[in-house]
Amino acid sequence: MTRYPIIQSPMLDDIEHRLRPCPTYCHGFLGEDDRKLVQILTEDQGTVHALGLTHIGIAERLRSLTEAARGGWGDPELVDDKFFVEVHEIRGKLPCPWPHPGLYQKGFARLENIKTGEKLVWTELSIHLIGEHGFYEGKGSPYRLDPKDLKRILEL
Amino acid sequence: MLQIALGLLALSAFAGFLALCLEAADAYFADYGECRVNINRGEKELVAEGGGNLLSVLTDQRIFIPSACGGRGSCGLCKIKVLEGAGPLLPTETPYLDPEEIANNVRLSCQVKLRNDVKIEIPPELFLIKEYKVRVAGIRDLTPDTKEFRFQLLDPGAISFKAGQYLQVNIPEYEGCDEPVYRAYSIASPESKPEEVTLVVTKVPEGIATTYLHDLLEEGSEITLNGPYGDFYLGESDRDVFMIATGSGLAPIMSLLYKIADEGIQRKTTVIFGDRTRNDLFYIEELEELGQRIPSLEIITTLSRPVEEDRWNGRKGRVTDVLKDRLESGENTEVYVCGNPAMVEAVEKLALESGVPRDRIFYDKYA
Ligand SMILES: Cc1cc2nc3c(=O)[nH]c(=O)nc-3n(C[C@H](O)[C@H](O)[C@H](O)COP(=O)(O)OP(=O)(O)OC[C@H]3O[C@@H](n4cnc5c(N)ncnc54)[C@H](O)[C@@H]3O)c2cc1C
Ligand code: FES
Ligand SMILES: [Zn+2]
Repeated sequence: MTRYPIIQSPMLDDIEHRLRPCPTYCHGFLGEDDRKLVQILTEDQGTVHALGLTHIGIAERLRSLTEAARGGWGDPELVDDKFFVEVHEIRGKLPCPWPHPGLYQKGFARLENIKTGEKLVWTELSIHLIGEHGFYEGKGSPYRLDPKDLKRILEL
Repeated sequence: MLQIALGLLALSAFAGFLALCLEAADAYFADYGECRVNINRGEKELVAEGGGNLLSVLTDQRIFIPSACGGRGSCGLCKIKVLEGAGPLLPTETPYLDPEEIANNVRLSCQVKLRNDVKIEIPPELFLIKEYKVRVAGIRDLTPDTKEFRFQLLDPGAISFKAGQYLQVNIPEYEGCDEPVYRAYSIASPESKPEEVTLVVTKVPEGIATTYLHDLLEEGSEITLNGPYGDFYLGESDRDVFMIATGSGLAPIMSLLYKIADEGIQRKTTVIFGDRTRNDLFYIEELEELGQRIPSLEIITTLSRPVEEDRWNGRKGRVTDVLKDRLESGENTEVYVCGNPAMVEAVEKLALESGVPRDRIFYDKYA
């Protein structure tokens, strides 16, 4: 990926520790991905850039899709004549594993691209993780959003 | 350019390393001795070894302060007043505190380290929060993804709570989850049956607590709960009551209805309970029984997407459609709402538009 050594700061070490399966989230945010966090971030950043996208742009699209379907209270809503999106909100909020204020609503959004039948699942926390931290989660995490899948399924 | 970047990285790594060393040195070498925690101007005093944060010191002494982040300083729920001995406000606290709170010595208890004697103030109702050892007396399927759990209280043997409040369930370590976690669940059972509590839990895909409760917890096993928490309970007035619920949001509404029945409260009460299909509805028999015990009670169940097999002749549409038809004037009305957060928002908006004052619309704030 890069010619230069990647050095992970102690702050990222600390965050990586929280992202690994347990203590706070059973499946964690990294799945079985054993790469260093900084490497995951750098590689996804490179892919997003190569696809001509930005973290903020992706996060905003996910947010607008969530907003468009939130009123369905879990029932599928047709959005932009292209997608069925259902938003299931769950009582309870959870913090971001990065150290800063704020809690994110539990629950998930499920999208189906009508033309291809491909599906995506994300959560309010995923939107924040992408937009603020450029973090798409590790491979094998149930909420991993591969930038290439996002581009294709969301037709970005 | 690259050299500058690497230099900066190395510098930040070194600064971080130094911070870690200081932290470690503080943990190993600092000896603060025994510190006194004076609570509510002498009402209670406890002594604890210095060095820990106030939240964990209080929790160790069985005083439970609300927390959603386990003391990581990111939920802002663990606020208490520290009148003396807290030391300066930390940058990790300021984002959560408004100027009035800062002026009133409010602090995040998980961020304040106990280094000397302190004087603190906490709401007296937090003293009522206890830890309960319970045995699972029964587990019953209510819908394909919702189960009812009946817990028999072992130690202490009874709980005092207000109908509508919730408990925190301590989910112990289990395979794949190395650390206990706490999750909130509303009490569905009556205040008048204090030796048992019933919780209604809907399964969440990949959820830590709901996976444990649905798939691993067995009848006869023992776990711990703590509580009660929350200010979602029946206000004292003779106003008409609208109770609106979807899904497991019916749990605290059941407890409120048992209270109305047990205490013979004579308030015109309308319950609107809705979900997608007939399969998602539960406690229908229990609601009918309550209907017989409470003469002033009307129960409306509604389905937003009934399917053919449901053979549903009842009301169709969402709970908000029913509420719109029924809520004529908000002047003499209280609204209690629980369930899907987007539904709670929609009900609140509708109730406000119908003239129900904001302070008569009740729901769990942190849900
Ligand atoms: C006051 C109150 C009362 C409540 N009462 C009830 C009740 O009576 N009945 C009931 O069923 N529930 C109730 N709840 C909800 C309950 O407390 C739990 O929040 C719920 O059961 C889910 O817990 P869980 O541990 O299974 O899920 P969790 O594991 O805590 O959360 C799962 C959610 O976390 C997010 N998430 C997790 N991992 C990731 C990741 N890697 N990337 C992105 N996002 C992620 C997703 O949004 C996911 O949906 C109540 C909540 C509150 C606050
Ligand atoms: S416990 Fe969450 S901020 Fe203190
Ligand atoms: Zn964050």
